[in-house]
Amino acid sequence: MLAYIVRRLFAGGILLVAMSMITFILFFAIPSDPAQFACGKNCSLAQRAQVRKGLGYDKPVAVQWENFAVGVFKGRDYPDDKSLAKSAPQLIAHCAAPCLGYSRVNLQTVTQEFKQRIPVSASLALAAFLMWIIGGIGLGALAAVWKGTIIDRGVVGISLVFYAFPTFFVGLFLLKYLAIKWQVFPVPSYISIADGGLWNWFVNLILPALTLALFYMAGYVRMTRAFVLESMSEDYLRTAKAKGLAPRKILYKHTMRAALTPLVTMAGLDLAGLLGGAVITESVFNYNGLGKLVVDSVITFDLPTVVGLVLLLGAFVIVANIIVDILYALIDPRVRVG
Amino acid sequence: MTDSFLSVRDLVVHFPTTDGIVKATEGLSYDLDRGKTLGIVGESGSGKSVSSSAILGLHRGTNAQVSGQILLDGDDLLQLNDEQMRRCRGRDVAMIFQDPLSAMHPYYTVGNQIGEAYLVHNKVSKKAARARTIEMLDRVGIPQPDRRVDDYPHQFSGGMRQRAMIAMSLMNDPGLLIADEPTTALDVTVQAQILDLLQDLQREFNSAIIIITHDLGVVAEMADDVLVMYAGRAVEYGPTKEILVHPEMPYTWGLLSSVPDVTGDTDAKLIPIRGNPPSLLNPPAGCAFNPRCDHRDKVPGDLCTTVVPELTPARTGGNHTKRCHLANPDEVYATEILPEIAPDLVQGQA
Amino acid sequence: MASYRKKALALVAAASMATALAACGSGGGSSNSGTKAGATGGTLTYYIKAALEHTDPQRTYVGRDITDWSRTVYRQLVTFPVSDDPTTATTPVPDLATNTGTSSDSAKTWQFTIRPGVTWQDGKAITCADFKYGASRPFATDVVTGGPNYILTYLDIPIDSKTGLPIYTGPYKSSAAGTAAFNKAITCAGNTITYHFKKSWPDFPLAIAALHMMDPYRQDKDQGDKSNYQIFSNGPYELQGTWDKETGGTFVRNPNYKASSDTTGSRKALPNKIIFNIGKTSETIADQLIADSGPDKAAVTGQSIPPSYYSQITGSVASRAASVVSPYTDYAVINFKRITNVKVREAIAASTNDTGWVTAGGGAKSFKEAHDIVNPAVKGYQPDLYPAGAGDPAKSKQLLQEAGVKTPYPLTFTYPSSDTMDKQAAALKQGWEAGGFKVTLEGVADQDTYYTNIQAPAQKDDVIWAGWGADWPSAITVTAPLFDSRPNLTPSSNGQDYGGYKSSAFNALVDQAQGSSDLDAQTKYLQQADQVLAKDVAYVPLDTQIFYMLRGSDVTGYKTDAASNSYPDLGVIGVK
Repeated sequence: MLAYIVRRLFAGGILLVAMSMITFILFFAIPSDPAQFACGKNCSLAQRAQVRKGLGYDKPVAVQWENFAVGVFKGRDYPDDKSLAKSAPQLIAHCAAPCLGYSRVNLQTVTQEFKQRIPVSASLALAAFLMWIIGGIGLGALAAVWKGTIIDRGVVGISLVFYAFPTFFVGLFLLKYLAIKWQVFPVPSYISIADGGLWNWFVNLILPALTLALFYMAGYVRMTRAFVLESMSEDYLRTAKAKGLAPRKILYKHTMRAALTPLVTMAGLDLAGLLGGAVITESVFNYNGLGKLVVDSVITFDLPTVVGLVLLLGAFVIVANIIVDILYALIDPRVRVG
Repeated sequence: MTDSFLSVRDLVVHFPTTDGIVKATEGLSYDLDRGKTLGIVGESGSGKSVSSSAILGLHRGTNAQVSGQILLDGDDLLQLNDEQMRRCRGRDVAMIFQDPLSAMHPYYTVGNQIGEAYLVHNKVSKKAARARTIEMLDRVGIPQPDRRVDDYPHQFSGGMRQRAMIAMSLMNDPGLLIADEPTTALDVTVQAQILDLLQDLQREFNSAIIIITHDLGVVAEMADDVLVMYAGRAVEYGPTKEILVHPEMPYTWGLLSSVPDVTGDTDAKLIPIRGNPPSLLNPPAGCAFNPRCDHRDKVPGDLCTTVVPELTPARTGGNHTKRCHLANPDEVYATEILPEIAPDLVQGQA
Repeated sequence: MASYRKKALALVAAASMATALAACGSGGGSSNSGTKAGATGGTLTYYIKAALEHTDPQRTYVGRDITDWSRTVYRQLVTFPVSDDPTTATTPVPDLATNTGTSSDSAKTWQFTIRPGVTWQDGKAITCADFKYGASRPFATDVVTGGPNYILTYLDIPIDSKTGLPIYTGPYKSSAAGTAAFNKAITCAGNTITYHFKKSWPDFPLAIAALHMMDPYRQDKDQGDKSNYQIFSNGPYELQGTWDKETGGTFVRNPNYKASSDTTGSRKALPNKIIFNIGKTSETIADQLIADSGPDKAAVTGQSIPPSYYSQITGSVASRAASVVSPYTDYAVINFKRITNVKVREAIAASTNDTGWVTAGGGAKSFKEAHDIVNPAVKGYQPDLYPAGAGDPAKSKQLLQEAGVKTPYPLTFTYPSSDTMDKQAAALKQGWEAGGFKVTLEGVADQDTYYTNIQAPAQKDDVIWAGWGADWPSAITVTAPLFDSRPNLTPSSNGQDYGGYKSSAFNALVDQAQGSSDLDAQTKYLQQADQVLAKDVAYVPLDTQIFYMLRGSDVTGYKTDAASNSYPDLGVIGVK
């Protein structure tokens, strides 16, 4: 097992290196000119060239990638300008190893930026995850047990409604009515546990997490319902019944266990994706998580942040895949080696 | 007859569907004593499994309509409420299923699943249940039961899984054991071991066994009585020896004709029954077997296609009943069927 | 403002911004519904949707931020006063200087004397050196980026033939020759600062009142790019803690600001605290201001109400909504490489259904029909240059006949696509087709690259949508940068002259305007230049955008004016 994990991590590392290269290539392949963006309007070609030089974007892509890669191990200076460092050292920002880059837009290293953003996205993702797992699986199982009844149709129907509505509208709707009009909840803003304590952190998370959860829940209701129905027709459930087990025990121990296993993969990857930020929900609720950073860094042509994000989100997915595989082996004895 | 340990009377199992009512079992009656074995034979869809599942009340909670009587030790199982029926399952009546791999939960250890059967009916500790499990695994011939108890079903061979299933069914020493095609999914060599095991255990526990099969060989080896089912009805019922020697129902003949006889004459013909099993939704009028019957023309008029034959005593007597309009089935069998399927036997007699 | 313009367009197109409220019916460029003059004290919240790119004075180029900083933290040599009269509001008054400056040598030299007693937030006096240092920063074109850079083309410093830029390269690193040239171009004598320009700059006071590019800057506080979000105040407020790019910042009173040193009368500084709250969506801002509870009662915003909220702006909410004409104009340029016959261009102008365009865009709450590419609040505006209205198809057909072209004449129109813009374009198409054209609409989905695409010299569309806002209230910052072919047209790009327009008559008038030492003369030349554009049909004006903004019920003295670029004027707004 350990060898397997090491092998997978190694492959993941190579994948990340490739992804960083592709990001550099794509960044300079798009028609928009990051130097023009930074320079603003009323910007002559000559000025644009200076800006490009200042950003270091005048060098060949391969050299820039190499500087990035070396920087990861040795650290870098921004801007990397020896004469400027001599005449005006106060202008130089140093990014110590392991340096993923320094964002001239956010005025801090990409790593520092991540340190601020990850707790926001992670809080949101985890809270939403708990909500939709509990809600989605509970309601899905309920619908399956009451298959064909009004309960089934109600649960499936309502969850589809939330699935069909854009997250943007659901979020605005919750915000407008629950927070602004009726003031059941505060207008959410991210408050870390360290700043506001557990309660404030949690109360402020409810609405955005619910917005996300409602969207994901629909899928989980449908999948859980299908998996439970499928496992209800399994022979081993007849065996359980023939043993004289109570219906509740059959549902919880035998049916759900089999039905939930395929959900582990889904849940693991969904969570990993969400850890990387929920763009729309973060925007609606003004949560400065990774999702907003993704959008902002692309709009502002913030190459160091874009590359850092690609690596971070890529790492999330790679690690989540490995964890899901390990979990799967723990859950399903048939997958275990030996 | 009513003194029997198990007495099934006029059992009817219907499944209403959007296309109509599926008559899976119609007016089935039989008796079984402790220590005895009843073989129920028939094709797929003849109602043999459905009627046996009805004894365990496995149709409860579905839309099946079950009527008649199932008297176990004098109590009518059909009159029990769901909770009483649940307590009865696994304790008084246990079942062994055809495919032990799919019949066991893939995510729980064999020991967990067997012990569960014990825990649900006995107020004992998990430790006690485990000890009992190991004891039973040992009893059904699982080597190193104290270690294999923690294995998962997929780690067992097919034969061992079926032994484990048998151990599970016997955990509570049930009076009645229903074995639904217990050997069908197993290698031939393993089949015999399992059947031997069942016989051993029957002697030890003195239980009644219903063995559901389509294999007359199994019946011949195991059953005291045999019940032949066709399209939801019993078409021939009696002591095994009687039925195998003097079958009086053309369907039974068909079953006999389609059993390969490895020890017998190689000249013996293997004659499959022509046609397909009837639809239970719209069974043929009259005798359900009539569209496939080669002897219909021996019956005067259109009796076979209009009137359902009654279950009547066989001409050879001996507590043997059959459902057939033929006036002289014993003679037809002796002169037309036997020479075809066992020519050596006929020559030897002549 | 111009750089903001480009992005604002994308947002406008996408979110189909604001509209004017008939009830308010102002349309005159100012709104004054919160009349009661407020008392001192309280906390004002200012909601802003997206992060500011810069708070560095030399890099600030967004209309809203320019005026916000002018009233709170960044004083200028001269500034625009609060006034309902657009002319007064766009006429500079002395601020950190003792007067509005004196020019000589055909407005090539400007001199200002710094007011005694003006200080930074740390109590140190604002010196001539601070002004000189501030003016030096835009020359560091690789560091101090994104801001207005007119100083680079005006200040009397030789051009380096290698880079095409001045030989002075900013305060961080420069050749000795460059530094010497700069020291000669801007000189300090005691409290008097003198700027020497290469060419006349008669509207220099307008430029420095409208922008922060010539603001003083303390050298000891300068860390280049790292100071991008630093706010070192000399106004009535100072930043508490630091500016957070994602969430904004809180301003409290600057103890070292002396009201006596400020004669502008435009910094009443009524609230004790001003909170800039960044990150809420336009929808949430509207929701909160409609609900009007808690701190939102004392809140204003620069964000226009989304059209989907118009139906909720009734009753008491409507009394808290202001509808004002913005400084931003949308127009269509005609591609001179493709449509060379002036009669055909005249036909396009004649059949332009401006009324349909405005109606499809949300009506009077969102847009006002435009008669000139120059905004009504900008010097040089001519209200009769174009007729606007629903168009004259008969005249158009006749013009096409005179042109001797086959009808229907094929025409393509490109614009950044959105639900609203698609509807507006359809209205234009209908008008043009009635006038004898066969129109193909080319909506561009990728709004980020829209401007890059239309700058391509190989641009194949016949009519091109674009938008603009003046950098300072003079037509010299409108028609000159948009239609002077000399700085714009290069082999690789059309610059901002998207239609590839080239006219020596126009260019000559621009030169005369730039050479004028007198503002009125300059304005006259610019109006003539605009008439040349109209005669050539270089463009067709489409609309002036309307700002439609809500405020809380406790806000007092609410005002938007030409001096505040039509955003809430923090100079006079207070809270109950």
